[in-house]
Amino acid sequence: MASDTLIESDLDISQLVDRPWTTIVWDDPVNLMSYVTFVFVKLFGFSQEKAHALMMQVHTEGRAAVSTGSREEMERDVQRLHERGLWATLQRDDKI
Amino acid sequence: MSAFSRNGGIYALALSLDEAHILINLVEQLLELLGEGDFNHHYDDSDPFAQLMSQLKAAPEEVTAPEDPVLLRLLPNAYADPEAAADFRRYTEPTLRGKKKRILAEVRSGLEVLVDEDHAGIIEDLNPENWLLAINDLRLALSVRLEITPESFDLFETLTEEDPQKSLYAVYFWLGWMQENLLTLLAGG
Repeated sequence: MASDTLIESDLDISQLVDRPWTTIVWDDPVNLMSYVTFVFVKLFGFSQEKAHALMMQVHTEGRAAVSTGSREEMERDVQRLHERGLWATLQRDDKI
Repeated sequence: MSAFSRNGGIYALALSLDEAHILINLVEQLLELLGEGDFNHHYDDSDPFAQLMSQLKAAPEEVTAPEDPVLLRLLPNAYADPEAAADFRRYTEPTLRGKKKRILAEVRSGLEVLVDEDHAGIIEDLNPENWLLAINDLRLALSVRLEITPESFDLFETLTEEDPQKSLYAVYFWLGWMQENLLTLLAGG
């Protein structure tokens, strides 16, 4: 039935719209490891252990996802990271 | 030798007069690069940092991506996609620029007392997190001009004292040391 098809297609669109965004922090040779860890604790309320692990991921893999959510929330996170001199971008989450 | 100290929740910074001059010069040059011109600067235009920092000056009102690599590092693109990055910048960059300028101006007013009264001394009751951000922005700015890489410290150690680059690198690494000093105090609970 036509109306059912329409409902299904609406659901697909809504799933696409809800696909979360991710804030990525990129490695750079300047920001101190202790400073990056400090910023992660301060901004995201992470435990020292989690902040340190994420910092190490940035350092060794060149990037790490630090937060996930709506586009508006991720834009705010990126802005707060830029205020503190970290190199951050946001992007649509790869995984659905 | 400069050092931050902490007494309970009160932070202070002891500086020699030379150190205060180096810091205020860098702060003023970065403020000007960010488009803040409303003060009389303390540095001489022949100062090597002034020459380094003023290699390119961007128009302060622009809200397109800055051409100056220092500004692009301090006010980076938020999106890989140029159109989304430009949109985001249009709405947010003035705020980001304003916050950085406000923090640098706060640091400048602390340093100004020592420099204007021409003596070494202690900057009392400073905001440690704002100083941390200001020092970090100074390091980022210098790192772009000095093209810092993970190998730079080894390079610095091989430079002779006569090399004009030596003192520029020395200030860059000194700022890193100050930042570690402050972070250690902040982590003290």
